[in-house]
Amino acid sequence: MKHNLNIERDRELLLGLTRNDDKALSTIYVENFPAVLRMVLQHKGSEDDAKDLFQEAMIVLYEKAQTSEFDLYSKLKTYLYAICRHLWLKKLQSGSWQLSLPDELEEVLPADNHMEDHDKKDEQFRIMEQSMGSMGEPCKTILEDYYIRKLSMADIAEKFGYTNAENAKNQKYKCLMRLKKLFFDKYKL
Amino acid sequence: MNDSNLIRDIERYLEGDMNMQEKAAFEKLCQSDPVVNEQLKAHQHITAQLESYGRRLALQEKMDQIHASLDMDMLRNAATPAPARVISFRRRLLTNVAAAACIALVTSLTTIALIQKANRQKTTAQYEDVRRVLNNIQRSQNALINDINNKKRVPANPGTYGGTGFAITDNGYVVTNYHVVAGADSIYIQNTKGEAYKATSVFEDISSDLAILKITDSTFRSQPIPYSVKFQKALRGEKVFTLGYPRDEIVYGEGYISAQTGFNGDSAAYQVSIPVNPGNSGAPLMDAKGDIVGIVTGKQTTADGIAFAVKSAQLKRLLEEMPKEKMGKWNHKNRLENLTRVEQIKKLEDFVYMVKVYN
Repeated sequence: MKHNLNIERDRELLLGLTRNDDKALSTIYVENFPAVLRMVLQHKGSEDDAKDLFQEAMIVLYEKAQTSEFDLYSKLKTYLYAICRHLWLKKLQSGSWQLSLPDELEEVLPADNHMEDHDKKDEQFRIMEQSMGSMGEPCKTILEDYYIRKLSMADIAEKFGYTNAENAKNQKYKCLMRLKKLFFDKYKL
Repeated sequence: MNDSNLIRDIERYLEGDMNMQEKAAFEKLCQSDPVVNEQLKAHQHITAQLESYGRRLALQEKMDQIHASLDMDMLRNAATPAPARVISFRRRLLTNVAAAACIALVTSLTTIALIQKANRQKTTAQYEDVRRVLNNIQRSQNALINDINNKKRVPANPGTYGGTGFAITDNGYVVTNYHVVAGADSIYIQNTKGEAYKATSVFEDISSDLAILKITDSTFRSQPIPYSVKFQKALRGEKVFTLGYPRDEIVYGEGYISAQTGFNGDSAAYQVSIPVNPGNSGAPLMDAKGDIVGIVTGKQTTADGIAFAVKSAQLKRLLEEMPKEKMGKWNHKNRLENLTRVEQIKKLEDFVYMVKVYN
């Protein structure tokens, strides 16, 4: 019964994460990071390695939680730990961390199918990051304000000193077209 | 329609700003113009990407804040003792495993050695020479009486080992087992009357376990030998008898040839079913006519009634290797053939001697 209760609590936390509840995010982070830190340190990784690894795993969890088909069958701790091990194994293999492969990580990892999705998403994120990075102002901020922060065009027009929302909109369209070009140059649908 | 207008329409369509007519017209345009349709898809994709990009950036930022608020010193302390423990545990484990492996190796090697030794012992233990260990108590009355009557020297010490031998020539050559006289300092031959004569071993053959002795005492007088050595193979089931000294008196034993090979398939010997005891070693094995067919050498300890005798062919080989002129004639005419067993024994017993060995 205790196990089931734990799962219920974990599901609750996960729901909070989906709704961008800061408290849920903080709880998950604080409760699960020490185990990952321990694992990485035990295998001669650094604290920064642990931080990167764990945050990437959190992103995987977050993205998964957004999709409706995701259901948590194992404990959140187990899930995160498995993803961390997988990510770390991949990094060790790709040679970006020049470390010998720990024996206990050389096994088939449970979170494999989850990771394929994540790899695709991660690729798109990197391309978007690059594209946005090379956009320049005011385009970058206009796009962020409208599409991410969901500000109205009127607010944006006022913020950037456009005479009306229509002008701002035209500017936004131009920016979006540039972004599309940058993004789809590197990413094929 | 230029790109700017198209993008405006796409956005208006997606954000639901179009009225019914516009919407229908736009959908129709999408269906008919693949370029427009593609642009629509690309727009949807890029805005979705932008949103998830933004969400991820926000998440990252929040996580960095949480991470900064963590008490890293405490976490580090909680996490670091573990690796040290793990390493030391591994080392200890390695030492233990190495020790266990060494013990296992030694144990298995010892076991193998013991098993092999036991197997060897088992085989040899099954075979027993039938020479006799003598002691003072076993001295017979008979020998003492004979000693007094004939004034012959009988050594006060009865000897360490005893066996049996039999005359092969008229001039004092005697056949016995090699294992009876092996390692002897001095050898004495004693007849049924208790007369003892000093003898020396003149020829020994370990492989057939035979030895030929020469009586060196000048007082020794022999009679013509009434039996011959039969070199043909004795057949299975042939009746045989023997005369030997399992005690200080000559003892008669009767049996038959059981097999054409001896212990462990030794083709130089017979298996004989005949009662033999320590002291019978070197005793002649004779067929019904009184001819020598073999020399009793030993018995199997694990089974009753199984004795072994060296075939007479081995003796022949040995005798042929001896210098003839010194030894004299050894193929005599049989003069026992038509006698009863009692009469045969009466004649034979003068030529069968007790062999006493001192060392």
